[in-house]
Amino acid sequence: MNITQHPDLLDRLAASYALGTLRGGARRRFETLAREHATVRAAALVWQTRWSGLTELQPQVAPSPAVWTRIDNLVRAGQLEQAMRAARQATPAHAPAPAPGGWWRNLLVWRVAAAAGAIATLAAVVVGVQVNGGLRVTTGAQIAALQQQLQATPQIQYVAVLADDKAAASMLVTFDPKNNQLVLQRVGGFQEGADKSLQLWALPPAGGPRSLGVLGQDKLLTLVAGEADVRQVPALAISLEPKGGVPSETGPTGPVLFKGELIQRML
Amino acid sequence: MSTRHPDTELMDLLDRIAAQDDSALKSLYDRTASQLFGLALRVVRNRDAAEDVLQEAFLTIWRSAGSYRASLSPPMAWMGLIVRSRALDALRKRSSDRADLMNELDDDMAQTLEGDSPNPMDAADASEQAFALHHCLGKLESKQREVVSLAYLRDQSHGELAEQLKLPLGTVKTWIRRGLEQLRACMARYA
Repeated sequence: MNITQHPDLLDRLAASYALGTLRGGARRRFETLAREHATVRAAALVWQTRWSGLTELQPQVAPSPAVWTRIDNLVRAGQLEQAMRAARQATPAHAPAPAPGGWWRNLLVWRVAAAAGAIATLAAVVVGVQVNGGLRVTTGAQIAALQQQLQATPQIQYVAVLADDKAAASMLVTFDPKNNQLVLQRVGGFQEGADKSLQLWALPPAGGPRSLGVLGQDKLLTLVAGEADVRQVPALAISLEPKGGVPSETGPTGPVLFKGELIQRML
Repeated sequence: MSTRHPDTELMDLLDRIAAQDDSALKSLYDRTASQLFGLALRVVRNRDAAEDVLQEAFLTIWRSAGSYRASLSPPMAWMGLIVRSRALDALRKRSSDRADLMNELDDDMAQTLEGDSPNPMDAADASEQAFALHHCLGKLESKQREVVSLAYLRDQSHGELAEQLKLPLGTVKTWIRRGLEQLRACMARYA
């Protein structure tokens, strides 16, 4: 029997097919016919469109305000990540051959960067030893150059090492008031699940915790913060929250994983 | 409320979202979140799960608004399909995570079916195609309308519906068959 010659039967089958109640062998036979005959395909499309109207007809229910906060946090985190990628791509200082998925994902870059940092630290220690050793090889010009270098580097005014309940360091936090930036570096092996987010909180002496932002999955993270956000805050904490975090007013809803004292640097 | 057609307003917002304008995402959320949350809640029947669905759906809209125009759909229908598809994902994941969950939910559902309420659907913001469906569904008996709606929204077979609604399989089949016949006749007038 040629179904295309029986419009009423075709319409009935198309309606059940698109509703989803046509199942098993009957469903497969209908799909085969649809591939062969444009009329059958068109009938299925008409009914798919009609049924999709059901999604518009359900009673309205207001979601909790936390949902928008989470969406907004994730959109902002995504935008920041994109901006940072763009910035890194614009200055490929030590870019090796592009790896699949983009060079910034390449572990090698991070290792090179980490190694460069370690070498710089070593150099600084060597200079310090030379100065303290009374060798006095450092000339005035060298000191001026070093001072200039210090001016150019971020000004780290607050430092915190956040540790878990076994006192293992898990997150290094620095605050740079010059750039209004909180920089977080994951140092432990902790990685939250794909459906969770870590959220950073300031724990002021009075009042409840204040959210400083939601962390992305990267090893090195940047949050925007003014000095007012961290001044006179004795401690920071990180809690495990639903993906996208929770509004600041709610306070942490998940377990506090890491916390630590926030120290103002004197030197 | 602007005097412009709501579809045009939503389509403009989607265009701006495609250009990564985050203030447009906020406006779209304010305009549509309750409608879409109602839909998510109807499919997954749990507030927490429905909120996750709504969040996922809006992130999907944020990422893929650029492909909206090509869908040739009314904007609410396009967003509704995104929410339904996320909600069905959540439902499948949950039923594989916790097979026992259905038992808790049976009571809620039985209540929904008992009450012979007038058509509870909301067509205030609906597109023209949805309005036609709304009109035709309104002519069905409420239990027929309910099983037909659930079959679509939750992508459930006759057997799954019978089990969940604690009804004999034959009853569910009859309600859906009769509901479909009436609907087809009614919708044919809008073709």
